[in-house]
Parts: sequence; structure tokens; C-alpha cells
Amino acid sequence: MNTIKIDMDVCSGCKTCYDACFVNVFRWNGEDDTPIVAYPEDCVECNKCELSCPVDAIEVIPDFKGIYWPPVV
Amino acid sequence: MATLESLGKIFSTDILIIGGGIAGLSAAIIAKETSPDVDVLVIDKATSGWAGKANKGGGNISYVDPEDGVDEFVKYHVHNLGFFLEDQELLRAYGEESRGNLDRLESWGVHIFRHEDGSPKYIRWTEGLPWRMAVMDQDVTLNMLRYAKKQGTRFIDKVAIVDLLQDGDRVVGGIGFSVIDGTCYIIKANATILANGGQNYLLMRRWNSGRGDGIAAAYRAGAQMRNAEFGNFINWIFVDSRDVCQGAEDVLYNAKGEHITKAIRPVIEADLHSKEVVAWWKEMKAGNGPICANMAENRILNEIVPAFHSDALAVRPIATAFWGRTIGKAMAAATKPGPMQEVIPGFIGEQAPVRVDHRMATTLPGLFAIGDTSYTGSAWAGAVPMPGRMRGTGLGNAVFSGVRGGQAAVKYVSGANPAEVNTDQAEVLKESMFAPQKRRSGIQPPELVRAIQDVMSPVGNSIYMRQNRLEEALSKVLEIKAKLPELWAKDWQYLSACNEVKSMATSAEMFFRASMERKESRGWHIREDYPGMDNNWLKWIIVQNKKGEMLISTEDVPIERYPIKP
Repeated sequence: MNTIKIDMDVCSGCKTCYDACFVNVFRWNGEDDTPIVAYPEDCVECNKCELSCPVDAIEVIPDFKGIYWPPVV
Repeated sequence: MATLESLGKIFSTDILIIGGGIAGLSAAIIAKETSPDVDVLVIDKATSGWAGKANKGGGNISYVDPEDGVDEFVKYHVHNLGFFLEDQELLRAYGEESRGNLDRLESWGVHIFRHEDGSPKYIRWTEGLPWRMAVMDQDVTLNMLRYAKKQGTRFIDKVAIVDLLQDGDRVVGGIGFSVIDGTCYIIKANATILANGGQNYLLMRRWNSGRGDGIAAAYRAGAQMRNAEFGNFINWIFVDSRDVCQGAEDVLYNAKGEHITKAIRPVIEADLHSKEVVAWWKEMKAGNGPICANMAENRILNEIVPAFHSDALAVRPIATAFWGRTIGKAMAAATKPGPMQEVIPGFIGEQAPVRVDHRMATTLPGLFAIGDTSYTGSAWAGAVPMPGRMRGTGLGNAVFSGVRGGQAAVKYVSGANPAEVNTDQAEVLKESMFAPQKRRSGIQPPELVRAIQDVMSPVGNSIYMRQNRLEEALSKVLEIKAKLPELWAKDWQYLSACNEVKSMATSAEMFFRASMERKESRGWHIREDYPGMDNNWLKWIIVQNKKGEMLISTEDVPIERYPIKP
């Protein structure tokens, strides 16, 4: 499973990562305006959260070996 | 007795657009341009503007320049890509409208890179092809979102529309739920536009968002499907990272060191073809695997792709960062050094079969389908899966169909009676939609997703087809289908996944049933048991739901009406 690391000391609470994820990995903690990595198992390493974070607080670490791939022959 | 209001949050609109990617945004913008007073509501399962593939793709959009000639384009396409299965009138329309759509996009806030004389900067995939690709950055949909909001279009995010509401045959909106808190949403709409993508079986990662929800909803509502058998696109992928290896098709070598595709692809072609996947499969069956791409000889990756991404063509910081970051991480995962990298055909699918006419109207009144939902269903591209062996046409078709569909929806609502939603029907659909979440246990969606992937991915099932293998694959899909009532969703995210699994099973079933019906090889569709193209049997295959049964029929391609004949 991919790992999505967020540096909460750097995060500005802008919610861009929450919007950017097309598979809805994130949920939002409205009390302190911070992202929750709720469904890392759904992450498909598009890296849009990492790339669009204006303060570089996110790192997506793909687990390529852990990707299930069905038979091809 | 329940009232509609007791079932969920009710919204009313003139035009409901399901899906906020480039096609949905094109339709929304043109609808407001055509008639500013028309109310437009866009709903996306994720977030409009960030959704879809345009903000993760190559940023290349195909167009036919007057200098290339529309006649030449149509002729080339019919003879080399679509093999007489095109709706040639719509193909011609694509050729005629695609250049003007670049100007349209620009007027909507999208930056099209241009030369000083105002002509679009472009490249061709390879010399001699009668179309060009203009370039955009990956901020295309965010810019369109901004423009659409200024026009007054309304947006609701994080809501998955599962089913269509109907008054008789007429579609009068949709029903769905919030993936965040499970609130039921009921949308009354005078016209509904499906723009939520094709079917990719959750196989191709990183950029592919289509799960076929719109296709399945339209099928359940009784809309016809066309060209569902052309839902078997692949990309070559590295075994190490499952990332796409562009250009592998021209440089495939078996374990004996023999070049296995040189004879069938002596020159660089418009795009991938299923024929080299067949060559791969034969080598693997003969025990000559693994098959490697010789990266040192890969002209596409070493010359064409860098030229396309070059700053000399266009400075595109967002796309450059995206490709650099994603490919960089994938390349870092490579375990074997050197130019010979093992590759496999990575099934994607890209099924896009909702049947539409020239106005992008489906066979159900009030329902339109655009972009990746209806790419093959519109039939303009013929015997190819989306994106049609014509690079840049995913985006081009999204705008082409979005413009036509948006205009047609405006015209439709101007003469339509106000939508009436039947409470009983909404209640039944709501119950069915939430059923997996009401269970305490059952099958979790990933288990069935894998089971479907296991049937779709093998080349012998879905690319190099044969009757016995198709029958076996279909029977496996039907076994999976029988398990769908046992799906269990532990929360709203997984409830959405349950709906996606149902959509995948529907797509898989129609793919195999339609593929069995096409007893010939044509374009991308290759049958081991029917290797020839039969131009005496020039037909479209139609799939339709009749009271729960998937019916297959055929329809003659009106070739007598078209200029290019076999």
C-alpha cells in the first residue's frame, strides 16, 4: 500500500489535497483544518496531492511491489 | 408512504451534468453560452476541475487543420484506423469542428500554445498523419472550472450519482449519495448529461479515473450501447513499476533476442495496435518469454516524447512536474539496469459504449452522453477502443462531444415539460443503492474487483479472442455477477466502491457478449478463430437491457450513405 506522509507542522490547511485527489483518499478534519489520510489503500500514486500542495507538506511514497496485477497470458 | 423530501436532499435544475472533467465542463460552459438563463448543475464523485483525465494526461489535443484537409483525414481514418465501422458523417464533423474547438477552449480560459502568427503550435505523432496535436498544460480543467463558475454553473462535489430517475423512458435526473457522509441526493433535471468517463476496471493507475458508473446507470435505465466489444485498450507497462512504457510496441524482443514486432510494424504507426499484443501472446505461449522492450532502440520514448514535452514547443510547468515526478518515482523502482526492460500488455479497457446520435443524445429521451462515456458509442471512430489509435483524441472528443451535447441539451430543455420524479421509483433505487451498507458482513468490493480484473486482463480473453475462451470468460463474469448481492460496504467510501464493482461487472458482461457476436477480425478486434475481416457483414453490435436480460442485436452500418466504401 502506498504511504502518504503529511508534515502537519508545515500544512497550511488550504484543503487543496482534499480537492485534488480523484479517488477520495482524504477526509477533512474540520476542527483543526487538517487533512486525514483516510483511505491510503485507494491511492493510485498520481501524486497530484504532493504536486499541488502549495507548501510542500505532502510526500507520496508508492509501493510498486505491492500493486496487485492480474494474469496477462 | 414516503415523500420525496423524506428520502434525501432534493435539487432541481434544467441540466444535470454528471462528471466535472473536461467533457462535462465543456458542456456546462457551452450550455450557459447558448442560453445564460439555463440552470446547470455539475456533480462529481470527487471534485470538478480536478476530476477526469485531462489534468493528468499528455495535454495533447488532436485537430484537423484546413491545410491537412478533412477529406484526406476521413479517408485515412476509414482505411487505417476505423475500418468502415465509423459513422463517417460524425467523423467528418470531428474533422471540421476540431480546429475551431481550440479557439473555443481558449475563450474559456485555457491556454493553447501558439506561434507569433497566431497559429497553434503542434506536433504530429509521426510524419504523414493527417491530423495534428495542439498542446495545453494540465491546468486545463481548473481554468474551465473557474470560467464555468463565473458563468453561474453550480457544482456539488463528493457525490456519486448511481442511478438515473425516469418518467416512463424519459430520464428526469439522478439519485446518488455523498461519499463523505452518506446523505442521499435526488436531482430533478429536465435534461441529464453523462460525463463520468469510460470503464477501466481500476487497472491502469495514476491517471485513469473511469469506473463505468455512467455506462452502467444508462444500461440499467434501458439505453442502447454500441461497439461495447471495442473496450479492450492496452498500454505496454514495465513489469517492475506497472508504469506505462511508451513506444515498447516497436521494440519488443523475445528471450532468444529476436525482434518480434518488426515484421508487423515496420514503421512507427499512429498508435498502439492489438496486433503486437497478439505477437506477444504467441511468443509467450511458445515459451519464448519474457519479452523485453529494448529501450536503446525506443524512438518514441527517446525522440518523439521528448520533442513533445520540450520547452522549445511549449513551457508547461504543471505537466512537466507531473510527468517528471510520476515517471521519476516509477523509474526509481526499476530493479534491472540496462536497456532491456521486461514489459507486459497492461489491460486498460477504455470501454465507452453509450450509444449517441450526432447531438450526443442517447436512445432515452432527456439523456445525453459525452466524452469517455460515449466515445465508441457515438461510432465516429469505428473499430477501435477509446482513444481510437489517434493520439490526442481523448481530449479532442471530450470537447467535440461536450459542445454538441451541451447545445443539444439546451435545445431539449427549451421544449421539454418540467421533470417529475416518481417517489416510489426513487425509494426503490435508494434502497438498492444503500443495500451493501445495511449488511453486517459480506464480500468486500476489492475481492470482486480483483476477480473481474483476473478475467479481463489475460490477452487470450480480451485481445486475442476465441469462442471457447470468450465463453469461459463470460461464465466467470456471470459467477461474479451472482455474488454482487453479497457486497458489503463498511462505510460510504466502500459503498461507492460497491457501485463501481457493479459497473465493472456490467461492462465486462457486455464486452464478452458483444465480442462473441463479432465473428470476424476488424481493426482492434482480433479473433483467433475468425482471422479475416468480413465486409459482407458490416454491422454495429447493439447491447440493451430488457427487463434485466442483456440482449444483443446487430444493425447494418449505413455504408451506402457514406463516401468511403470497402
